[in-house]
Amino acid sequence: MAGAMDLPAKGGFSFDLCRRNAMLAEKGLKMPGFRKTGTTIVGLVFQDGVVLGADTRATEGPIVADKNCEKIHYMAPNIYCCGAGTAADTEAVTDMVSSQLQLHRYATGRESRVVTALTLLKSHLFSYQGHVSAALVLGGVDVTGPHLHTVYPHGSTDTLPFATMGSGSLAAMSVFESKYKEGLTREEGIQLVSDAICAGIFNDLGSGSNVDVCVITKGKTEYLRNHQLPNPRTYASSKGYSFTKGQTEVLSTKITQLKPKVEIAEGDAMEE
Amino acid sequence: MGDSQYSFSLTTFSPSGKLVQIEHALTAVGSGQTSLGIKAANGVVIATEKKLPSILVDETSVQKIQTLTPNIGVVYSGMGPDFRVLVRKSRKQAQQYYRLYKETIPVTQLVRETAAVMQEFTQSGGVRPFGVSLLIAGYDDNGPQLYQVDPSGSYFSWKASAMGKNVSNAKTFLEKRYTEDMELDDAIHTAILTLKEGYEGQISSNNIEIGVIRSDREFKVLSPAEIKDFLEEVE
Repeated sequence: MAGAMDLPAKGGFSFDLCRRNAMLAEKGLKMPGFRKTGTTIVGLVFQDGVVLGADTRATEGPIVADKNCEKIHYMAPNIYCCGAGTAADTEAVTDMVSSQLQLHRYATGRESRVVTALTLLKSHLFSYQGHVSAALVLGGVDVTGPHLHTVYPHGSTDTLPFATMGSGSLAAMSVFESKYKEGLTREEGIQLVSDAICAGIFNDLGSGSNVDVCVITKGKTEYLRNHQLPNPRTYASSKGYSFTKGQTEVLSTKITQLKPKVEIAEGDAMEE
Repeated sequence: MGDSQYSFSLTTFSPSGKLVQIEHALTAVGSGQTSLGIKAANGVVIATEKKLPSILVDETSVQKIQTLTPNIGVVYSGMGPDFRVLVRKSRKQAQQYYRLYKETIPVTQLVRETAAVMQEFTQSGGVRPFGVSLLIAGYDDNGPQLYQVDPSGSYFSWKASAMGKNVSNAKTFLEKRYTEDMELDDAIHTAILTLKEGYEGQISSNNIEIGVIRSDREFKVLSPAEIKDFLEEVE
């Protein structure tokens, strides 16, 4: 019985099956698709912290798979992460790093730092050489101040005052480039983020439905799920419909007088 | 694990059916500083002496009571370094459980997994049993719970228990004082009094540690100021 301790798993992607997959694809086998989020995700730094925003549509090719999914993921009480790309990859990688951050917090007794989350994410993504298709906007406030970063699937990162990712990033970035300034207030920040996401929702097919916002400041985080619902679903109302007068075209009118046709007959009153 | 010369288990049975290494491990526990735990109706309290080898040691750097998950805490009697290893492993297991089931780990599950680790070290090659007994206190959907885990890997659920140097006196004291419907604040007072019984010297807010978990399910280690308040109430 050798070894009480588990050997650490040899990390990294196992390329064993890639050759087989390539051969099968050549033979004409259609690879199963995976759900890509299509997406508009944004973040900006304002006066007291960071604001993150995301749309809520998840697409599977041309089909909307989820009309109200959550793209802003919890990393730590003071750090949140928006994810674009393959939904399973963004979920799995943010859950994994969130778990690692919790263990780190217990070991150090301190609040997690955004750069820690950033480094854990980029190391993981780099070791998988871009096969983990997760493009993230990571934001949070820690003891060193507010931070906003973007992380690309191959493992590179940027540090920015405002950032957008996803298929709707150009639409959202155009809003940021024209309206962003330093020292925004909380209300201005939320408004600008909502505007940017709405630009993505209305101008990009891969983004849609509602706007999720997350405001992170020193000591407080507010997750505003469905902050805006610019695409309400209308269902058949059980109360029935009301039509305004003139909505229906009248083809002909015939008036029949009923009063001359009425017969008044004397009779017994109805029994109670 | 490494050297094949030690791939046999060092924990072997004696002719009388005992595992002598585990007995010795329990002796190591028995010579450690006293720790105790009390399960109240609305929470659990665990406490321990914090006797430092010299007045020059910075007591703020020593923390004997540790948090495993937001709603589970642990204290020990025995060897500090062995305790640290177990805490690290238990925290990791709690996180793995959450990743797998998306449910915060129930107290019994964490106790079971920690006990399984301790048992592994009594039946593996080239390792020795842990020289600690743990008192795990938690509050989950099954209410407040208190468990003791021994170096052999056996675990028991207690209403109140003590371990370490002064175990027999402490247990007798607890047996007398324990009531089923005790409130948590009473339990904290009782814990302090029990520690006081066996303490050589004067107890103060700097040489004991107390951890509590109430119905809010947040495990907290009390600060020296909070301990001071409780001490004053007890006087």
